Amino acid sequence: MNRIFILTPLIVLSIICIFSLVYLLSGKDPNKPPSALLNKDVPIFESSSLYNAKDIIKTKDIKNKKTLINFFASWCSPCKIEHPLFFEIRKKYPELYLLGFNHKDPTSDAKKYLKDDGNPYDFVGVDSDGLIALEFGVFGLPETYLINEDGKIIYKFMGPITMDILKNEIEPLL
Amino acid sequence: MSSLVGFLSLVFAIGINFYLFLSRYIFKFQKQKFNLFIRFSSLLTLLSFFSLMYAYVVSDFSNYNVFQNSHSNKPLIYKISGTWGNHEGSMLLWLCILSIFSFFFSFTKNIEDNFQKLTLIIQAFLHILFGLFIVFTSNPFLVNSILVNEGLGLNPILQDPGLAVHPPILYAGYVGYSIVFSIAIAGLFQNTDDEWLYVAKKWSLISWTFLTGGIALGSYWAYYELGWGGWWFWDPVENISLMPWIAGLALVHSLMMVRGEQAIKKWIVFLSILCFSLSVFGTFLVRSGILTSVHSFAADASRGIFILLIFFIVTGFGFLVFLLKEPKKSNALNLLFINKVSALVINNILMIIATLTILLGTIYPIIIEVLYNKRISVGGPYFNSTVIPIMIPGFLLMSIAPILSWQTNKINNSKKYVLAFIILSVLVILQSYFLDFNTWGFVGLLLGFWIILASIIAIFSSYKIKVNIKFFKIINPHVAHIGVGIAIIGITCSSVFQNELDFNLNEGDKFNVNGKTVLFEKIETTNEINFQSLRGKFLFDIEKNQSKEIEAGKNYYPVSKMVTSEAGILHQWNKDIYFILGDQKNNEWFVKVLINPFVSFIWLGVIIMMYSGLIAVSRR
Repeated sequence: MNRIFILTPLIVLSIICIFSLVYLLSGKDPNKPPSALLNKDVPIFESSSLYNAKDIIKTKDIKNKKTLINFFASWCSPCKIEHPLFFEIRKKYPELYLLGFNHKDPTSDAKKYLKDDGNPYDFVGVDSDGLIALEFGVFGLPETYLINEDGKIIYKFMGPITMDILKNEIEPLL
Repeated sequence: MSSLVGFLSLVFAIGINFYLFLSRYIFKFQKQKFNLFIRFSSLLTLLSFFSLMYAYVVSDFSNYNVFQNSHSNKPLIYKISGTWGNHEGSMLLWLCILSIFSFFFSFTKNIEDNFQKLTLIIQAFLHILFGLFIVFTSNPFLVNSILVNEGLGLNPILQDPGLAVHPPILYAGYVGYSIVFSIAIAGLFQNTDDEWLYVAKKWSLISWTFLTGGIALGSYWAYYELGWGGWWFWDPVENISLMPWIAGLALVHSLMMVRGEQAIKKWIVFLSILCFSLSVFGTFLVRSGILTSVHSFAADASRGIFILLIFFIVTGFGFLVFLLKEPKKSNALNLLFINKVSALVINNILMIIATLTILLGTIYPIIIEVLYNKRISVGGPYFNSTVIPIMIPGFLLMSIAPILSWQTNKINNSKKYVLAFIILSVLVILQSYFLDFNTWGFVGLLLGFWIILASIIAIFSSYKIKVNIKFFKIINPHVAHIGVGIAIIGITCSSVFQNELDFNLNEGDKFNVNGKTVLFEKIETTNEINFQSLRGKFLFDIEKNQSKEIEAGKNYYPVSKMVTSEAGILHQWNKDIYFILGDQKNNEWFVKVLINPFVSFIWLGVIIMMYSGLIAVSRR
C-alpha cells in the first residue's frame, strides 16, 4: 500500500510527460486552434464581385466543383508573400475554382493591389464588413480553405501558404 | 565582443560544473577547493549574464538576440529589462539565479561537509542540464548574420517598470526551490541526522517569499496594464506559478512540525521534490509554447522537447531516489482531535488537493486535445468552484492553529474565541442583510475578519506584549495569518462587490460616479520617445477644491505596431476607481469605470505575508 503511494508521483509524471510529448510531436500550435468547421459544410454566404456589384456569388454556385477559398487584403503583408503561389496553383490545376475574399478593404485599394500584383482568382468577392470571414471562423489573414465537390471544408490553413505546404498538404487533396 | 565573452564564460561555467559533478566519483578534493570552484562557476555564469545585459544596454545589434528584442530609442530601464524580456535571455537569467543560490549555499555553516558537498553537486547537475539547454537550443549569443543599425523592439506590454522586475523576483522563487530539492535529495542519500531540515526550512522560506513577491507583481501588472479591471484571471501561466506557491506553503508548514519533534520526513522530502518539479514543469509549459499567453515567446518544438526531457530527468530522478531511499520510519504523529499536529496535517492535505486540482485544470486541455483533437479551455468557473471551496476549511483552521498545543487537545481561552466568532457572525450577517447579500461575499468577509480577529486575540492573550525583535519573531505566525485575512477581505470585496459603469461621452461632459461628479476634460495626444500616447483626462469630484486628475488611454508603439491600454486608476484606501478609455464612435468616447472596493487590501496582505516570510527566515 505504502509502496503504491510512493510510486504514484512517478506514474503521474510519466502520464504528463507522455501526453506533453505527443502534443509537442503532433506539431500542434496553440496559436492556431483546430478548426471547428473542418469536414463540415461550407457556411452559407453571398457576396458581390469586386469589379461589378451586380455580379453575385452564393454558396450554391461553388457546388459540384473543387474550390480554394482565400481570404486576403491589400493591407496584409503576409498575403502579399503567398500571392504568387496562387498563380502557380492556377497554372497547375486549371479546373480548380479559385475564390478570393477581399477582407475589410477599401475597394480602390483592393483593385490597385490586384492590378499591381496580378489577379489569380476566378472570382473576387467583397467582404467589406468581415461577416463572411466571421462565418468561416477566420482567425487572422491570410487564411485558405479547400472545399470538395460535396461542399465540405476538407482543409484549412492559417497564415501564408508556402511551397512546402502546397506540395505536402494541399496537392495530395487535389 | 561581449557576445563572445558571454558565450565563453557560459561554456566554461558549465565545464566547471561538469568537473564538479564528476568529482563525486573520480576526482575527489577538499571542501575548500570544492567551494571555491562552485563560487567561481557562479561568477562566470553571472559574467555571462552581464555581458548579455551589456550588449542590450549599448544596443549591440551584432548580437542576434539584441537585434530581435531591442531598439536603440528605448529608455535605459527597458534596455536592461529587455535582457530577460525574451526566451533566450530569460533562460540565462534562470541559470544565473540558480548559480547565485549555489553561491550563497556554499557559505552555509552548521551543516555537515559531505552533506553540503552533495547538495552542491546536485546543483551542479541542474546547472549542467539547463546550461546545455541554453547552449544548444536557446543561445542568446548568436551573431547577427546581417549588418543592421536598428533593432526590432521589445514587446510594448513588457515595457513597464513593474514588469521589469517581475521576472527576476519570480525566478528567484522558482529557482530557489532547486536548493530545497537538492537538500532533500542529499538528505535522502545521506540519511543522517535531521539537521538538514532546518537548512531546508530557511531556503524554502526564502524561495516562497520571492515567489509571493513575483506573483503579486505579476498580478498587479495585469491589474493596471491589461485594462480588464481584474488582477487574477486563472490564466494557465498564473496557475503554473500558483502551484509551487501552494505546495511551497505546505512545505513551510510541514517543516514547522520539525519543532514539535515529529518530523514527517517522508512528506517533507516529497513536498521538496514536488515544489521544484512544479517550477520546472511551469517553465516547460511556458517555454515550449504549449500554452498561449503573454509569456510565450516564439514556440519551437525542439526546445519544448529538450525542456520536457529536463523535467522528466529532474522529477523522475527525484521521485526515484525517493522511492529507493525512502526515509526510515519516524515517530508516529501525535494526532489528536484538535492539536497543532492535526491542524498542520489537515492544512497540508488541503493544500495538496488544491495544487492537484489546479494541475488537473491546467493540463486537462492538453490531454483533451491529444485525445480528441478538440480545443477546450478551462477557466475561472472551474477553478473558482473547485479550488476556493477546498481552501475554506483551511482558512477556518488557520485562525486558531498557531495557538494550538502540540501535546494536548486544550485551547487556552477558548471561550473568548467562541464569543468573538458569534459577535463577528452577527455583524457580518447584519452587513449582508442591510447592504448587499452574496453568498461568496458573506463567506469571504466572515473568514477574513475571523482570521484577523482570532489572530489578534491570540497575540494579546497568549504573549506578554513587548516591543523588541524577539517578540515580533514569536508572534510572526499570527502576523502572517493576519496578512492572509486582510488579503481575503480584499479579494472578496474586489471580486464580489465590483461595480461597473459604462458611458458614452463627449469632451467636456460631466457624469456621475459613486455620487461624485466627474468631468471628462479633454483628449490629448502626445509623442513620447518610443510611442505615441492618447490620453483622456478626467477630473474626479470637481465640486471639491482638490479634485483629482485621472488619465486613461492607450499607447501606440510604431516599432512593433501595437496598441497597449493604460488604465487610469484613482487609488483610495477603501476602493480603486478604475477608468478605461474605449474607442471613439460617432464623436463619442466609450468610457468604462470600474469601482473595485478594497483592492489595496490585497497588496497590503501580500506585503505582510512577505514580511513574515523574511522574519521567519531569521527565526529558528
